[in-house]
Order: sequence, then C-alpha cells, then structure tokens
Amino acid sequence: MKKDLMNILACPICKGDLVLNITKEDEKEIISGTLYCSKCNEYYPITDGIPNMLPPELRE
Amino acid sequence: MVTITYRDADIELDEDVYDPAEDSYLLADVAIDVAQDGMSVLEVGAGTGFVSAVLQTNVGVDLVATEISPFAAECAKRNGVVVIRADMFGCFRSGTKFDLILFNPPYLPTAEDEKVPGWLNYAFDGGVDGREAVNRFFEEVTPFLSNGGIILMLISSLTGMDEVKMRMLKQGLEVEICNIDRDCFFEELIVLKGTLKASDQL
Repeated sequence: MKKDLMNILACPICKGDLVLNITKEDEKEIISGTLYCSKCNEYYPITDGIPNMLPPELRE
Repeated sequence: MVTITYRDADIELDEDVYDPAEDSYLLADVAIDVAQDGMSVLEVGAGTGFVSAVLQTNVGVDLVATEISPFAAECAKRNGVVVIRADMFGCFRSGTKFDLILFNPPYLPTAEDEKVPGWLNYAFDGGVDGREAVNRFFEEVTPFLSNGGIILMLISSLTGMDEVKMRMLKQGLEVEICNIDRDCFFEELIVLKGTLKASDQL
C-alpha cells in the first residue's frame, strides 16, 4: 500500500487513528507491516501490499 | 492464468473470484461515461478489479477499492487497483469523501441452501430478497459522498428496481436510470445513478 492511504484509513472498530509500522517496503509502496490501534489494542496486518482492515471476527 | 482485454485494459482472472460478466461490462461502460479526470473514486467490492481497472485505464481518476475476499483483493491488486481488504466502508476515517462511488453488489435473492462455500458467497448472496447488501450500502454511503457526489450501482430486475429506487430517494439521492442492458435470459440489468443534491450538505 502507498503511504498516502494513511490519510483515509481508520480503525474499523473505533474509527480512531492508526500507527503504521513498516517491516518491508520498496520504492513504490509498503509491502508488509502493521497498522495498530492503541485504543482497541488491535493490529491490522499489511500483507503483499494489501492492508487488511477487517475486524478480527471477519478475517477468516 | 486467464487474461481478458476490455477497452484497452488487461484483466487477469482467478478461479476463486467472480468472473466479469454482463453486469461488470455494463457498469464499467457507464462509469467511463460518468467519470471525469481528477475525480476521486471508490469501488466497493472490486472482485477481480475489472470495473476499476477499466475505468482507470480510460479516465484519469484517483481510485481506491475495497474488497472482503483475500483472493479477490490479491487479484484486484495484480490488475493494478489500489485495494484495501475491508467490509464496505468500515476502513475509512470519518470525513473521507469520494466524488464517485461504484458498486456491483451481490444482488440475487439467495436462500440458505443456495449459498456457495467460502469467500465467493460474498459475490452472489444478496440475502432472501436480494437487497441485503444493497440496503446496507445505502445505510452507510452518504457521509462518504462529496457535495454533488454520484453513486453508480448495478442491479437486476430480480433485485426489485422500484424497491431500490425508493431506498435511494429515502436517502436524499436524485435517481436516474443510466442504462438498460440488452436482456439476458432471465433478468434485465440496469445501472442506477444516485446523485447527492449539493444543497443537502450546505
């Protein structure tokens, strides 16, 4: 995902701000990492460049 | 891997994802007619990414898509679409606005014993009356439309066109029928255009 997506993303549970943690990126985008909501203590994974913003009960 | 080409866009398909069909072609055609350069666009439930990829190949829009299925999200990304795994609008910050929102919903009336296994069910299952996803979409969509923003939604005669139009009017949208498809065997497909009246947000 591109970093500018952070401007429109929010925690799907509380709608609060997210903290971006990058583990892998290239010149174009973030490949893997997490988006963390401190209020809900929930991590949303970024995998293969796609942020997974589903609440935990919908992920699988 | 099967690839199809439509209006200069090459789209890779995936066996675990709903294949583009008449409905997808129709929505993509209308979207190209309605969209203008510079518009911010959201597609809800992108599937293979067909409609988004065709639109952004032909018009200079700034587009993102949401998709609930992991297989479809990966497929849409391979097709060059900026995609977020999310349930409808669940991932967006309040105050996020789009000029154009596209939705090809699961619109078929679906009984319990007609559900298909796995993520693919999200592509077909419109609930008992075919309007479960449609109604939820309209409950949530308006805050994400910019002033004068436009919704393009594909539905079938099986979904109940009058009921959907009433739902849109209730939401304060101006409604137009944008296009009527050549008849398929058992249903008629149309694109409904809903416009948020500019005055509603002043």
